[in-house]
Amino acid sequence: MAMPLLQVIDQRTYFETGRGLLRAVDGVDFELHQGRTLGVVGESGCGKTVLARSIMGLLPSNTRVGEGSRIIFDGRDLGALDEKSLRALRGSEIAMIFQDPMTSLNPVLTVGKQIGETLIRHHGLSRHAARGRAVELLRDVGIPQPEVRVDQYPHQLSGGMRQRVAIAIALSCQPRLLIADEPTTALDVTVQADILDLLRRQQIERDMSMILITHDMGVVAGRSDEVAVMYAGRIVEWAETPELFRNTRMPYTAALLNSIPRVDDPPHRRIDAIAGRPPDLIHPPKGCLFAPRCGHVEQRCRRHSPPLQLASDGTHAQACWFPQSVGTTP
Amino acid sequence: MVDGTYDETPEAEADGQAEAIAAHRRRNRLGPIFWIPLVWIVFVVLLAVLAPSLGLQDPADIDFLALQAPPNEDHVLGTDVLGRDILARIVYGARVSLTVGVAAPLIGLVLGLMIGIMAGYYRGWTDEIVGTAIDTWLAVPGLVILLLFSVIFGGSLPTVCIGLGLLFIPAAARITRATTMNFANREFVLAARAMGASDLRILALEIFPNIVWPLVAYILIAIPIAVVIEGALSFLGLSVASPTPSWGGMIAEGREHLEETPHISLIPTAVMFVTVLSFNLVGDTVRRRLADLRDRAI
Repeated sequence: MAMPLLQVIDQRTYFETGRGLLRAVDGVDFELHQGRTLGVVGESGCGKTVLARSIMGLLPSNTRVGEGSRIIFDGRDLGALDEKSLRALRGSEIAMIFQDPMTSLNPVLTVGKQIGETLIRHHGLSRHAARGRAVELLRDVGIPQPEVRVDQYPHQLSGGMRQRVAIAIALSCQPRLLIADEPTTALDVTVQADILDLLRRQQIERDMSMILITHDMGVVAGRSDEVAVMYAGRIVEWAETPELFRNTRMPYTAALLNSIPRVDDPPHRRIDAIAGRPPDLIHPPKGCLFAPRCGHVEQRCRRHSPPLQLASDGTHAQACWFPQSVGTTP
Repeated sequence: MVDGTYDETPEAEADGQAEAIAAHRRRNRLGPIFWIPLVWIVFVVLLAVLAPSLGLQDPADIDFLALQAPPNEDHVLGTDVLGRDILARIVYGARVSLTVGVAAPLIGLVLGLMIGIMAGYYRGWTDEIVGTAIDTWLAVPGLVILLLFSVIFGGSLPTVCIGLGLLFIPAAARITRATTMNFANREFVLAARAMGASDLRILALEIFPNIVWPLVAYILIAIPIAVVIEGALSFLGLSVASPTPSWGGMIAEGREHLEETPHISLIPTAVMFVTVLSFNLVGDTVRRRLADLRDRAI
């Protein structure tokens, strides 16, 4: 198989805090090939966003990155690049979409200016050409009357439209990797599916790779090729999407799946929230970090931390001593 | 059944909205408290700009036959102690007051903006150095600085503008720093960085457009203050040197004769009072408007 577009090798992103070192991302490895979508799923605080920012190189100043950590994009070690080369890469080859389009767009600049700015910067387009391209991009992301919208300000658009604008900005320079960090969490339920389908469609049309970060298993279900489930800064299960849903092995993944309310549930059924809280990432307990919340916990889980093990057929990996081979509903 | 839940049809709703907007406009109509001062400001500015072509007497010309003359047909506003035409001196004096009034705050604003935006964006040691420097600068009495300035560089218009401008730096820098900090951590700045923008671009394109309005509001307050300070400096003889007329200087020259010929001091005092008041009134209205605009935009 061809070389992967993105390789993340033993990524460790720690933050120095007043209480000690916070292990936000603690040894993540994965590969992503051209034209594929990886769903990254996990609870709030599991390190999804920090992982995304680590790839972008947009980390606060109190960050310590592990010595063996490498992020290799298209054969280039991003950690070895200087700030200028990274800037040239950001936006043009790797782009990002943020959770809340209310805050990720500049309130005092027109939509057209915000889309055009990146084109002017990376591709040297003239103001006029950039505006024309902005109109095309707005049309691509399904905004009606793009010639009118291009001169409007974010506050004149609905939440869904704003996120479409954010997508247009991200797509403007034809990036090869798009990182979407909870792109629909802040949106109305009715437009969530539209935005996700738009992202998937654009990803396939443009043969981009995409990392789709979410806390909602339902989001990645039909719209990713493979899924990595994160817990406490680590990947605890990875598989091709259909395989993961068919053959959930890690109890945490199963718990995530069970926490989605289903349409065919009887009314007033209690949602199966995952009991307990995520572990302290400054002083993590011994053993499997999910053990205190796991329904299938055994002695061994509390003593030794399970490594992420790839099954013999190479299509499914889990970090669990006692992988379940049961379906979604136990 | 869905239709039944709406009290109004979309058209009625649109009508109601239009009415609300119209009512809002009526409430917000700019009254005489805005227009009269604005007309006065425009009038003074026009006089100052057109001074040489108005056919006025030379403001330095001395009429020995009419020393301290009250208003008459030769001298509409009378003459001063040396027999110079007060009207001409008021008009030419407006040039000094307005130049200083606008230039000094602008100089302070530009310098304060550069300092404040750096402190607010980079924080850390940049912020500490800037903060300490501003505190130090504020502790130095302004009058002493201006005195030093006019002693070293002589009392000319550029000197006064720059000297006074320096005094506006701390306030401008603090306002810029505070508003910059407010925006520097917004997600759109992170988004711009994620799209490959450099710090300079972020400051110029993402942050500056957001902080420019508070600064415009500030300059509207600073203009009348600068006019008053210039008046005080002239009064103390620290502004433009005689015989160049300035309002403060005119007030000072007439103060010895307040009992016999009060008009020599009172006319420039009145003109300055009305001008400063006008700037304040117009500035207040514009500031409120700007704040409303911002509230609606965000």
